[in-house]
Amino acid sequence: MFEQLFDAALLDSVVRAMIPILLAALGGMICERAGVFQIAMEGMMLSGAFAAVAGSYLAVHSGLGILFGIGAGVLVSLVLAFGAVSRKGDPIVLGIALNLMAIGLTGFLLPQIFGVRGVFQHERIDGLDRIPVPLLADIPWLGPVLFNQTLLGYLAFLLVPATWLVLFRTPVGLRLRGVGERPLAAESLGVNPIAYKYGAVIASGVLSGLAGAQLALGNVVQFAENMSSGRGWVAVVAVMLGRAHPFAVFGAGLLFAFAEGLGFRLQGNGLPVQITDALPFVVTLIALVAARKRFARLLDLTTAHN
Amino acid sequence: MQAEVPSPSLGTRIATVAGHPALFSIVLAFALGWAVVSLTGGDAWFAYREMVDGAVTGSGLRNTLGRAVPIIGMALAVSLAFRSGVINLGGEGQMVVGGLAGAVIAIYMPGPGLLVVPVAMLVGAVAGAVWALLPALGQTRLRLPILITSLLLNYLARAVTGYLVRFQLLDDSVTLTSTEQVPPDARMPKLPLFGGVSFSLVLVLILVVVIWVVYGRTVAGYETRMAGLNGRFARYGGIQVERQTVAVMLAAGAIGGAIGTHMIVGDAYRYIDGELVLSGLAWTGLLVALLANNHPLLILAAGLLFSGLQIGGLAMQRNADVSWRLAQVLQALVIVAVASRITFAWFKRRSDRGVSVSDVEGAGVGEV
Repeated sequence: MFEQLFDAALLDSVVRAMIPILLAALGGMICERAGVFQIAMEGMMLSGAFAAVAGSYLAVHSGLGILFGIGAGVLVSLVLAFGAVSRKGDPIVLGIALNLMAIGLTGFLLPQIFGVRGVFQHERIDGLDRIPVPLLADIPWLGPVLFNQTLLGYLAFLLVPATWLVLFRTPVGLRLRGVGERPLAAESLGVNPIAYKYGAVIASGVLSGLAGAQLALGNVVQFAENMSSGRGWVAVVAVMLGRAHPFAVFGAGLLFAFAEGLGFRLQGNGLPVQITDALPFVVTLIALVAARKRFARLLDLTTAHN
Repeated sequence: MQAEVPSPSLGTRIATVAGHPALFSIVLAFALGWAVVSLTGGDAWFAYREMVDGAVTGSGLRNTLGRAVPIIGMALAVSLAFRSGVINLGGEGQMVVGGLAGAVIAIYMPGPGLLVVPVAMLVGAVAGAVWALLPALGQTRLRLPILITSLLLNYLARAVTGYLVRFQLLDDSVTLTSTEQVPPDARMPKLPLFGGVSFSLVLVLILVVVIWVVYGRTVAGYETRMAGLNGRFARYGGIQVERQTVAVMLAAGAIGGAIGTHMIVGDAYRYIDGELVLSGLAWTGLLVALLANNHPLLILAAGLLFSGLQIGGLAMQRNADVSWRLAQVLQALVIVAVASRITFAWFKRRSDRGVSVSDVEGAGVGEV
């Protein structure tokens, strides 16, 4: 049975499941480092997915889709940054409200703009092409999986070492972490915490928007209502499990993507979709229990107010 | 010793009310909604008029009251948790699990309706409470934040109930993925009010009063408030915060489960897979609790408002060809504005910067 399950096709669906989660989680990680509690990735991703489909439909080109996806993610992130940073509002309330607003707004715009409900498919929507890397894509087994991805897929994987480099090896990263860990100390050294927090939230808007674009133009070529279906929340957990460290966040994302990919595969083997859909969330809950010591900060944040 | 405070003039009072963060946010949300409708080629004035009409005229009032029942119920449930600082995002799962458990009783339990309906509500409440107990114990025993676990359990609840309906309880005679119908004598009776509002309305009103009294007049009400304001201080003062977390989660889950059961025995008369999730009632309730700052009487008002928005939204969709989902957008916008503390005072300060206005706006959403 195991030979039937674990093959290149499984690996491919794991990688596909991973890209949106990883993109969103890296954005959440940057916010966490800057001391902004970010749970709006779900809404940013959904908005990004809708805008990406709209952009791609308009231009019949996925390039504009990607740009629109980024734009939508940034728009939502600006609302979050304004409310949570400038107005010192509660980031949890803002995150929940923005997630719900994204569901409502995309559900509203779908019939208003495209005249359909539920799912929007059209031949004008240009999907993201897979771009094989010459030579590397020919490596047996791993090559077609790792080196035959969309542009956003490569970007997601390259961002893991890149964010590590920026966070831990550059002055900008040092200041960003300073703003998150010792805001007063950072400020007294001339770092503007508001600017850094805005930057972090906008960065997560860009990344979650890209995650949405990958979801709607890469993994499938359509927009379906509420198609982010909890992936933004899985990304929140990945940030927590990975303690906001790029490589650990990558590992957590891989775990969840593996569960999703495996579920997808088991579905093909005849298991009910209700069971396989639950798999990523069961794995997430088990991982939470296993790594429970890691959540002290969030627990403090969400239980001892003021 | 009390200083003489001059009573404010009528003009000042009106300005204070109009400048209230919640009211101002509602006005702001409608203004933004206007822009969204206009930008997407709709007639905003006509759409809003149809919305108001649809919410209160014809069968609108009955439907608004009917939908307000679960919205207010779910808002009360989540407010219990929020008020004591427990961030329960699992209302949806608690409602779904309770709803299916209650449906099974209502469909299969023999006996007179006078017995079956209360037992179904009770079993639904217990099932919801058990589902809520999981994240509560997760936080108190394993130190896992309820915020995350309760939310993830929503997705698990969808899967488990979906599986049960599809493979164990399916009614083969219809094309829906649904249980069998609740027999007519096991349904919640209707009040002779506006052409038939579910008796559950009375139950919810009683709940509002009970919670209001508990908050204002009992030790438990005081202790939950203190824990919500400052968990550490409350613990220092001798309040057992862990026990309280479990207690409020049980209560919230029980109300959620009972509301889920109401949706079956008092509204849909069969459990259709995915319907309770799609209805978004739990999340609407959560927004209502935030807008009302967890106050039970304000929840009543805000619940009626959001219910009217949704029922009116459906009429707007029929008559003005503007999707009812605008209602969801408006609801979320209101909370974003309240949470961002965008108030009349803030706007004024932005417009006349020379004048110094002290920071007068309230927190609005409170501690959640």
